[in-house]
Amino acid sequence: MVNEQNLEQGNGELIEIPAGTAWPIILAFGAMLCFASLVTSIGVGLVGALLTGCGIVGWFKQVFPHEHHAFVPVVRRRFVPASSRRTVAHIQVSEVHRAYLPVESYPMVAGLRGGIAGGIVMIFPALLYGYLTQHSIWYAVNLLGGAGVAHWTNPSTADIAAFHWNGLIVATVIHAAVCSLIGLLYGAMLPMWPKRPILLGGLIAPLLWTGLLHSILGFVNPAFNARIAWGWFALSEILFGIVAGIVVTRTGKIRTHQALPFVLRMGIEAKEFNPPKGNQP
Amino acid sequence: MSDYSLPNPGTIEAVVSDEPRGTLLETLHEWVITVDHKRLGILYILYSTFFLLVAGAEALFIRIQLAFPHNHFLSAQVYNRFFTMHGTTMVFLVGMPFLFGFGNYVVPLQIGARDMAFPRLNAFSFWLTAFGGLLLYYSFLGGGGLYGVGNAPDVGWFAYAPLTARSFSPGHATDYWALALIVSGFGTFGTAINIIATVVSMRCKGMTLMRMPLFTWLMLVVSMLTLVTITPLTAAQFMLLIDRYLGGHFFDTQAGGSSLIWIHFFWIFGHPEVYVLVLPAFAIANEIIPVFSRKAIFGYPAMVAASVGIMFVSLSVWAHHMFTVGMTSTSNAFFTLSTMLVGVPTGIKIFNWIATLWGGRIRFTTPMLFCIGFLFQFLIAGLTGIMLSVSPWDWQLHNSYFVIAHFHYVLVGAVVFCIFAALYFWYPKATGRLMNETLGKWHFWLFLIGFHITFDTMHFLGLLGMPRSIYTYQPDRGWNFLNLVVSLGGMVQGVAVLIFAYNFIASLFQGEIAGDDPWDAWTLEWTTSSPPPVYNFEEPPEVHSRRPLWDLKHPDDPDWEYEA
Amino acid sequence: MSTVSTRLPVRAAEWHLPYKGRVGMSALIAGESAIFTIFVVAYVFYLGKSVTGPRPSDVLEVPIIGTICLLSSSLTIWRAERAIEDDRMGSFTAWLGATIVLAITFLIGTASEWKKLIYQDGLTISTNLFGTTFYSLVGLHATHVVIGLALLSSAFLFSLFGRVDSRQSERFGAVALYWHFVDGVWVVVFSVVYLIGR
Repeated sequence: MVNEQNLEQGNGELIEIPAGTAWPIILAFGAMLCFASLVTSIGVGLVGALLTGCGIVGWFKQVFPHEHHAFVPVVRRRFVPASSRRTVAHIQVSEVHRAYLPVESYPMVAGLRGGIAGGIVMIFPALLYGYLTQHSIWYAVNLLGGAGVAHWTNPSTADIAAFHWNGLIVATVIHAAVCSLIGLLYGAMLPMWPKRPILLGGLIAPLLWTGLLHSILGFVNPAFNARIAWGWFALSEILFGIVAGIVVTRTGKIRTHQALPFVLRMGIEAKEFNPPKGNQP
Repeated sequence: MSDYSLPNPGTIEAVVSDEPRGTLLETLHEWVITVDHKRLGILYILYSTFFLLVAGAEALFIRIQLAFPHNHFLSAQVYNRFFTMHGTTMVFLVGMPFLFGFGNYVVPLQIGARDMAFPRLNAFSFWLTAFGGLLLYYSFLGGGGLYGVGNAPDVGWFAYAPLTARSFSPGHATDYWALALIVSGFGTFGTAINIIATVVSMRCKGMTLMRMPLFTWLMLVVSMLTLVTITPLTAAQFMLLIDRYLGGHFFDTQAGGSSLIWIHFFWIFGHPEVYVLVLPAFAIANEIIPVFSRKAIFGYPAMVAASVGIMFVSLSVWAHHMFTVGMTSTSNAFFTLSTMLVGVPTGIKIFNWIATLWGGRIRFTTPMLFCIGFLFQFLIAGLTGIMLSVSPWDWQLHNSYFVIAHFHYVLVGAVVFCIFAALYFWYPKATGRLMNETLGKWHFWLFLIGFHITFDTMHFLGLLGMPRSIYTYQPDRGWNFLNLVVSLGGMVQGVAVLIFAYNFIASLFQGEIAGDDPWDAWTLEWTTSSPPPVYNFEEPPEVHSRRPLWDLKHPDDPDWEYEA
Repeated sequence: MSTVSTRLPVRAAEWHLPYKGRVGMSALIAGESAIFTIFVVAYVFYLGKSVTGPRPSDVLEVPIIGTICLLSSSLTIWRAERAIEDDRMGSFTAWLGATIVLAITFLIGTASEWKKLIYQDGLTISTNLFGTTFYSLVGLHATHVVIGLALLSSAFLFSLFGRVDSRQSERFGAVALYWHFVDGVWVVVFSVVYLIGR
């Protein structure tokens, strides 16, 4: 800040500032006239070119070899920082708030891994379902893949039971994306209920997910909706959840950011939570 | 600045000092040749205030024309010119000069610099912008149309091809549009370069990037965005001129050219331009909300990250203006999703502002009122924006008054509200006097009421199917009453702006003396006198935290103890 | 107020900021790149869309000499930059002169190419889409070469009269940066127009 010691000294001192100059406005006016000559007349353009030339030369002389400066005398003044409100209140964050948040949880990657593993295992009941009901393992694949094949309108059951390589690709992409995303979401939700990952992943989440799909699938994919067997669906979901939960529990717990106070994580200050100063550069 | 050693005192060229005022001519001369960032900032703001009144008057004429069905208050030709000029003026001659004016005035003060990095370029940029605007308005007199009368541009502010081709727009009106915007575009480009160089190279000691005030941070982001935003428009306008003057075929559909590519080029400029306008509004809110909540801004790093995020995301959303031109469904999906993605960083910002307000000792001064209005209106504008980003919804409502209402909610409800807030906030710094609070509150409430009467109603007109840019309409469409309401709301806003204009001028002579720091604020511009001396600071300041003035005011509890 | 100075963080870090000319020039280059991007996109978009001839493969010849000249001028201006930093003014003037000669050779090459295209092949800016996009893209680049040439020539004149010394090296560095940009753009324009588009 303003150096207090120097405030009184240096009366009559000069500060250099860039000197005022008319060349920029002349150059700007000239350039504008050059453009305007396209819609007016050549004479305007000639004047504009002349002004532009003068402006460039004049400007160049202003800055070369040395930039022109003007000197203004300093008027010394004393700035007294004053605030009408002298009391400073700090946000009080009581430690009690923190008791309910887990300080240890599974890492988010564990959820992702669980999602992938569950996704692989889940394939089998789905294929089994297709084989048992329609005697084709491609049936379930095409039901899912049909969501991505936009020109599939009103396919027959035999159609769906046949092999379609684009159906397989789309189904694989959808399955892989949804499984990893759900795994990620699962990982993100783990800190909410870190003690029972299998219950959360294996029962609650599949039931919620099945319920959600049950209500919206009619809009998203009517063909799928018409043929889906909800019992089998819920079964594969639960299998997915249990596998994912097992994978997660086998991963070790880590300390979460929850160990740090909220105010610190959000980048705001609070008197009670001075960060440790020792290890800062 | 000082590249070399000081010359000895004998060679001092001119000594400018605060002697008694010279004659009017001398004062005028000083203002014309000035390279001082504060004077140029004031010139920018006066210039854009003038055009705000002009373009506002055009809007009122448009609204009078639309107040009743089968109205013939304006002729159809004049109506087309007015909506073209209203849009062009508001974006290029009001919005950007206002925001760059504030940037010019405030940024060097906030970072503790004596001037901008390139003071002469700064003057040059301002005068280019100013002359560009004058050239645009000269078209009313000089743009020889078909019948040899003056003819302003009438192709809409986005000037879609092939309407702009010689055969469909004879005369020079369209050329005026392109040329004037090229000239003022160069000015904008220069200012953007200047602000970037200033922020990067002119910061005072201790002002690291993560200690910069958020206003300065956002002006840096805006300037970087401007660099890659205004230039595509300039390029496209050069193409248009090549078509019109040299017989080129860029947008000539007869010779294989494409009118679609103009639409792409225009919106590659046009959409980031919205963020060029709205990010400075965020910047202003970032300064004002903490000061009047008496709290430090919540989540400073998140605010910076969100701003930079908006800058990048905004470059990939332009085609959401073009859902109806018939793109592939992949493009539609991409631009729908990328547009929705903008909602994430802006949402972060809104939450941070609310968290800043939360638990604060809020003072409802006029600037704060405008910022709170901004918060609510920007939220609604963002929500209708997400509605419009869904391409099927957009197919239904494209080019309807719903779209008009949405972007006026952004540009008036957010940008203009923040501009007014900034004018009330920094007016005492620039003039040494406070603006009248009573008149300010009248201005705020009238403007707020007028705004909502006008633009809330417009949403319904859009849903009822009223398209934009129509000259008049049949009485049996069911739009009569709502249109009248919209027009009346426009009048209320007009009255509010007149109150503001009176306050703006009258306070210069009668306003309460402000002192250095009337708002009890925390950034460096409030440490110098009001108005600041030509050299800004006697000694280059040194800062240790994001709120240097807080550290001085509370030496027992300074900020730098908390900032890593 | 004496308490203030006692409670300041002890941190005497060196305060060094980048040279403003270089920052400004980088910003200018970023914006210019956007202009060139638009013109290049237009060129690529309209490739093969011309309704009438001539087509690029009929009339374009690869300007090898001009390209070599322009690209090597980046090298010579880099030598000039080093020379002015070390205050070897004679060497600076010589390398700068070489840069200017190379740039003029490039411009002469472009001019003769255009002359051939206009008078021999009858391709003007209004002939077809290829003409429109070709002349505007190459012309935009040539305009930048001319502006750079003007900057370099004035620097050359001043150094001939001994008005330039190492204190100007930062400013000259900004000019050189611009020149490198002009060269870099030519690489893009050359590949798009003469390699991909032909």
